Amino acid sequence: MKKEITREDLVKINEFCYEISQSFRPDMRVPAQVYMNELMMKSILGDRSLEQLVNVATLPGIQKYSLAMPDIHQGYGFPIGGVAATAIDEGGVISPGGIGYDINCGVRLLSTNMDETELRPHMQKLATAVFHNVPSGVGKGGKFKLSFEEIDKVLCDGAAYMVKQGIGTENDLEHCEEGGCMKNADPGMISDRAKKRGLDQLGTLGSGNHFLEIQKVEKIYDEKVAKAFGIRQNLVVVMIHCGSRGLGHQTCTDYVRRFMSKIPDFGIELADRELVYAPFKSPDGSDYYNGMAAAANFGWANRHVITHLTREAFKSVLGKNAWLTTIYDISHNMGKVEKHYVDGIEKKLLVHRKGATRAFGPGRPEITSVYRKVGQPVLIPGTMGTASYILVGLNENMERTFGTVCHGAGRRMSRTQAKKSVQGSELRERLEKQGIIIRCESDSGLAEEAPMAYKDVDNVINVVDGAGLARKVARVVPLAVIKGG
Amino acid sequence: MNKDFELIPHTADIKIRVYGKNLSDLFKNALMGMFQAIGPQAIGCKRVEDRLACNDLPEKRDIDVSSFDIESLLVDFLSEALYLSDIHNEAYLDAKIHEIDDKHINATLLGLKITGFDVVEVKAVTYHDLEVKKEGGFLMTDIVFDI
Repeated sequence: MKKEITREDLVKINEFCYEISQSFRPDMRVPAQVYMNELMMKSILGDRSLEQLVNVATLPGIQKYSLAMPDIHQGYGFPIGGVAATAIDEGGVISPGGIGYDINCGVRLLSTNMDETELRPHMQKLATAVFHNVPSGVGKGGKFKLSFEEIDKVLCDGAAYMVKQGIGTENDLEHCEEGGCMKNADPGMISDRAKKRGLDQLGTLGSGNHFLEIQKVEKIYDEKVAKAFGIRQNLVVVMIHCGSRGLGHQTCTDYVRRFMSKIPDFGIELADRELVYAPFKSPDGSDYYNGMAAAANFGWANRHVITHLTREAFKSVLGKNAWLTTIYDISHNMGKVEKHYVDGIEKKLLVHRKGATRAFGPGRPEITSVYRKVGQPVLIPGTMGTASYILVGLNENMERTFGTVCHGAGRRMSRTQAKKSVQGSELRERLEKQGIIIRCESDSGLAEEAPMAYKDVDNVINVVDGAGLARKVARVVPLAVIKGG
Repeated sequence: MNKDFELIPHTADIKIRVYGKNLSDLFKNALMGMFQAIGPQAIGCKRVEDRLACNDLPEKRDIDVSSFDIESLLVDFLSEALYLSDIHNEAYLDAKIHEIDDKHINATLLGLKITGFDVVEVKAVTYHDLEVKKEGGFLMTDIVFDI
């Protein structure tokens, strides 16, 4: 049944959007749409991401389109950069693989309230202090060891529980998607094995593409919104990119296993087993949704504790009055129940965002009151040697992509290819020549995340902005990169 | 055929192709391949041709996993090894398989304490592209790991 997707199968809707017709494969329930431009097409057609996107179009209850953001690349089950909204009252399903193993992988942005000129003389010391205070890499346990009783509280209340413990502030929570806590979380839906993995992982970055960067705001595109977000040119900010660690990975693994064993009960045929799902309105579906929310809360608590550890590091270098203010915190691996208009009718949808970021326009009640008038801040981490972006959500995009944009630059090169293209030590030297300080123990880990392994983030963001998925507010560039292996 | 596993290019994740002369061999090579692909670091071991070579694998973990077909069993077996690796900071490079059929495995994982992985940690074993096939008298499958 599976056939290769070629250039001819992509119908141009406009400069930034292409469609694969529902007639491409008989099992598709909706067409597939990809936000990209000509420049990206070759690399997107070069892997199997579009085949995966077509597979997503087969999910029961899927609405409008199986969607791909411009950072789309091959994943497992869903492509990375994939979005699917299923109608809860029309037999819509929830797919753990459509949310990802790293539940609530996301980004938090902090402001130092200081400009580059003030902080530049301290940058080496700051990078070292943060590197030593925030555990990163494989098998590095955190400083906060939790008991089983405590972890249940973290799973229930997320970052809010940490504030009750005197870590971070209410102000942090007000500047966080969901206030740092999904209310439907049920710790009873998380296995003891997942909890056990989480006991010593709070406040740890992990490895892979996760990082902490000290960055400066290089360019402002929208002064008014930038002001509302508390950012200005040359401001030094800190970007934290990580997720729910082993606890989240185990939770997704547990539910994929459980759903897989129910395939005969559900009577389903899968285009890819990794897409395994349960009806949202079923005990299996709701158990996963409530368990996923608990794991998401662990993710928010994790970024919250890393914020605290980063503040400690900054204080150790700059003195006790140094402070970092949370600008915003977003998730880019998540499933959420949201109301959206589908062809003029308001429906309750479960929106899967797998390597995709919610980007709601002004006025939506889900946005923190602090930013509700201007729209939701959208944080797009780039690659080590290039740039990251701050954008703002737009109302005109709510119907097209269910208020969603990309989550990063998107890989274009395998890790093996990346390592063949550049030696870690050479890359370290090259980045340091550009004035970027690197704190990473593993040269190999560094090479795998080399900038050339990714698509051009500026081009990805130009598609996002050009297509009206979100609007550019600021471009930020790295001053120091802290990462695990 | 002497091949045990090889790395297959994948844009974002790690993909390996695993070979085995029988089910037991396939599972052992998948276990070894999963850990060797992410470069375990251990004191007292050498790295030979991108693989960790150790004289001794002193850590032993008994496991018993049941599932409903070969592919599920392989995912569940490797997921169990990942869980144990994360809890104990160990990597498993071999196994003694006591019993195995399409739906059940009883084995002792053999490994060692590690200080980290040179490449990356595996978040999960996925079903994507996983299909145990018989070719030329050998069993083989691809496995994609989310990293």
